[in-house]
Amino acid sequence: MLVSQIDMITPSSLSECLNQLSKAGRKHKLIAGGTDAAVRMKEGKWRPEIWINIKNLKELRYIEEREDFIHIGPLTTHTDMIQSQLLQRKADVLVEAAREVGATQMQNMGTIGGNIGTASPAGDTLPALYVLGAMLELTSLTNKRTLPIEEFFTGPGRTVLKENEMITKILIKPQKPNGLGIFQKLGPRKAQSISIVNVAISLTMDNDRKCAEGKIAFGSVAPTIIRARKCESMLTLGQLNEELIQNIAKIAWKEVMPISDGRATATYRRDMASALLERGLYRLIRRWENQ
Amino acid sequence: MKSIQFIVNGKERTVVCPPAKTLLDVLREDLGLTASKECCGKGECGSCSVLINKEVVCSCLVLAGQAQNQVITTCEGVGLSPNLDVIQESFIAEGATQCGYCTPGIIVSAKAFLDEVDTIPSAEEIKTALGGNLCRCTGYTKIIKAVQTAASKKISEPETAR
Ligand SMILES: Cc1cc2nc3c(=O)[nH]c(=O)nc-3n(C[C@H](O)[C@H](O)[C@H](O)COP(=O)(O)OP(=O)(O)OC[C@H]3O[C@@H](n4cnc5c(N)ncnc54)[C@H](O)[C@@H]3O)c2cc1C
Ligand code: FES
Ligand code: FES
Repeated sequence: MLVSQIDMITPSSLSECLNQLSKAGRKHKLIAGGTDAAVRMKEGKWRPEIWINIKNLKELRYIEEREDFIHIGPLTTHTDMIQSQLLQRKADVLVEAAREVGATQMQNMGTIGGNIGTASPAGDTLPALYVLGAMLELTSLTNKRTLPIEEFFTGPGRTVLKENEMITKILIKPQKPNGLGIFQKLGPRKAQSISIVNVAISLTMDNDRKCAEGKIAFGSVAPTIIRARKCESMLTLGQLNEELIQNIAKIAWKEVMPISDGRATATYRRDMASALLERGLYRLIRRWENQ
Repeated sequence: MKSIQFIVNGKERTVVCPPAKTLLDVLREDLGLTASKECCGKGECGSCSVLINKEVVCSCLVLAGQAQNQVITTCEGVGLSPNLDVIQESFIAEGATQCGYCTPGIIVSAKAFLDEVDTIPSAEEIKTALGGNLCRCTGYTKIIKAVQTAASKKISEPETAR
């Protein structure tokens, strides 16, 4: 299929979009901001017969707090998240992650739905969504299901999304007043770079430098994002002092399962995962104490 | 082929082209607006930067069909001699361009950035705002200076007075 032969449909509502997705016997694919889709189309990797263009489906672009969750529409851009006061207050780790995506142009174009849809193990918003306990709503013309983000990814670029489904909502749990988070990324340069390793940490703090509960998720160190459960269980062992933080970082070195590729060797990734976690925890404690 | 309508630099335009053609190619080939440049073609260098509804994007990754009904501004729309924008004047005054290949994209990015600020930005803020624009010649020092000069001119002589 040549690029010049690819058609495009622009549905004007979600129901029209779901209708289009339900049509069998043709190769179609959603395109939102296009920052992954257009690149892969040019590389010859993604050549659908029809692009279903959802870029301007306004009804899927929102950030709202309702009942116990923050609801995020999949067409919310990284810029929208960076500027959202609600997320700044109640999901700081996601704001920090969005800020690390590409540079201004990519943040203006790229969407959270697209970041999830691409399912790269290096996707920057993904570890943040893991530690915020994200749930994804997947909708087809005839069905709607909601599942935890952990169950969505099956490998690099692979998900449980069916041909006729799309992501219609991302639900996250707002941080409590004694909660805070951080996102740390190592890339080859400051802007516009794919993560070599990234980590999202979210802590709920108690008195006296003690952590009541914490979540840690790493990207780029396994086929999908992983939670570092052993490290997490150590967070509540006692005061988060230098000794405990260093011990947690040592366990992280063992807990991640990276491969070597063109961007870095496995050993370097282990070293950096450990260092990013250690640095992130120090920074979080400092922020907590300065609050 | 699809017929696509949009507003480019204040004018309503219609082009007939494959919907998956990039906006950059449409601007350059169908509309003869050649300020926006293709360099990497994959979002990394910013030389193709244009504004869509006042936000800076890489036109090499926007497909023509997605630009339907959008308001697009290229470097030509920011200003053309003799009616240059204060940003363009500052680039000339500070000598912030060498080969010039990156310049239209940087002007467009700087325009979006300066439209949102009302103080003189720090070098660090400019580096973040222009992080998606690469320049292989200048070493950036003069570009940053030019953006600061433009900001200070904008503040001291607001648009209406100019
Ligand atoms: C130069 C450059 C730098 C980048 N830097 C980073 C970076 O630092 N960190 C990072 O994480 N990413 C980065 N990216 C990747 C990309 O920008 C992000 O993944 C972005 O969030 C993708 O969003 P999009 O809207 O552009 O997706 P698109 O390209 O439009 O779509 C991506 C995929 O998601 C699917 N999709 C989109 N919306 C939905 C939906 N609602 N339901 C189901 N499937 C959907 C599409 O079908 C497609 O398969 C970079 C890309 C470029 C070109
Ligand atoms: S040509 Fe578009 S970003 Fe390089
Ligand atoms: S002036 Fe030559 S690339 Fe910037």
